[in-house]
This record gives sequence, structure tokens and C-alpha cells, in this order.
Amino acid sequence: MWQYERKLQYPVRIKTPNAATAKIIISQLGGPDGELAASMRYLHQRYTVPYGEIVGILTDVGTEELAHLEMIAAILYQLTDGLSAEEIKRQGMDAYFVDHTAGLYPQAASGVPTDMKYIGVKGDLLADLNEDLAAEQKARVTYDNILRLVDDPDVKDPIRYLREREIVHYQRFGDALGIAQDKLDARNFYAFNPEFDKRLR
Amino acid sequence: MRTTVDLLRCLMAEDFAVYETALFLDGHPNDGEALAYLAQHKGESDALKEKLVRAGYPLTFTDTPQGRYAWVNTPWPWQKGGC
Repeated sequence: MWQYERKLQYPVRIKTPNAATAKIIISQLGGPDGELAASMRYLHQRYTVPYGEIVGILTDVGTEELAHLEMIAAILYQLTDGLSAEEIKRQGMDAYFVDHTAGLYPQAASGVPTDMKYIGVKGDLLADLNEDLAAEQKARVTYDNILRLVDDPDVKDPIRYLREREIVHYQRFGDALGIAQDKLDARNFYAFNPEFDKRLR
Repeated sequence: MRTTVDLLRCLMAEDFAVYETALFLDGHPNDGEALAYLAQHKGESDALKEKLVRAGYPLTFTDTPQGRYAWVNTPWPWQKGGC
């Protein structure tokens, strides 16, 4: 089971609301490389994995992604809290406002609602871990792009933290891929051992 | 006297060390140095959690600091006064 702790993983304290910035950052709530998709990807891949180390990594990274989802939500909430309808219109968030008011709906910056088509669960360790490595890099690029577009240091600070977590998760999935290759067959350089046929569970 | 927000910030720092080390241990469960580092910071984290609840802050929904059910009227992490 999961239990909620009443704290963010890293502080978010934004002094100046800015709907234009929120419009960009919402992609990390519900976009293709956002935190919701990341969490759902790892937490669903883990069930059939035959090695405890890798189940651990998927469970714990997937759980941390939920904490990141909350940090992104806190950023979005503070960027829009207290804005008038007129300010929302002037800052370009009127199309979102008409459907969701100031509520937080998981969608990409382009307006496309979140979709489980963003994630893959292939049921094969080598395929899934390679997807996870790519997912961490794609999320890192999205944070790089946010840092290119945003000026407010109050926003950039937690975004930089989240970007660094993508880099650490990439390292941990690298460990996981190494463990998977060694355990499936350390001599198979080409890494194509089908986990399913080995009846490891 | 430290406020609950100060204590929460200290707890965030300790828990960063705790989670980071535990995540590393998932892939390297026999690393003695990491295990000792985890134990040290886990101890500090647990002590801070106790201190927070004693100071009136409910960290989880079953915490009843000072005999009160404070879960519903304490600022949430994304709100002003929260952390």
C-alpha cells in the first residue's frame, strides 16, 4: 500500500503568479514525458519482473515520481493562485480556464489530455528497461526546455531539482539493465534474452 | 525554537539522503558503506519526524499530535504556510 506524507520532496515557494509559465510547466503533469506517465510506467512494469533488485528500483522510482507529480502540481497551483479571469486571459491561459477554471487537469502544454499511450509495458525486462532509460532522458530534455523558457528563480529552483532527479534515475535504471543482462545471460553481449521463455518466476 | 516549517525543511534534507541511499541499495544491496550511511540518516529522519509530530504537525493522517486530529486544518504542502 501507499501512505501519504504531508510534505513535498523539495520546497516550492513561488512569490509571483504567472499563468504563461503554468501553461508550459503543465506538460510535466500530464504530457508525454511528464511525471504521471513516468510513475504509471514503472509501477505497472514491476509486477512480472523476476529479480528483486529491479522490482525495488521500479517500485521506488515509481513512488518518487508521484512525489514529483505533487511538486509540479504545487508549482502550477502557486503560479495561478489568486489570478483574476482578466489576468488569466492576458497571460494566455483562457483556453485552459474555460474547461478547467483553476483546477489542475493532467494535460500536455499543447492541450492534449494525458494518455496511457505515452507509456509502454512490454513484459520483457530488456525492452522495458530500455524504454525507462529513454523516458528519463526525455523528461530531462523537457526540464532543460522549461529552463530555457522560464526566468523566475523561484520556479527554476525546484525545476532544476527535478531535472537532476531524472539524471539520477537514469543511473539507477542503468544499474537495473546491468543486473538484468548479467542474470539473464552474462555471456550474451547482444542482450536479447526473452525473460518470458526462461520461466524465472 | 524552530518552527514546523524549519523542521520540515530539515526533514526534507534528511529524507533526501535516506531515499537516495535506499534507491542506490536496491541495485547494490551488499554495499556496506551505503548501508551504514542509510542507517545514520534514517535515525536522524525518524528523530525529526517525532519532533514534528510533538510540535503539532501531522505528517501522516493517523498522527494525532497533542491529542488533536489536526490533519484537516493544517496547511497542505502546496498552500501558503505549508511546505
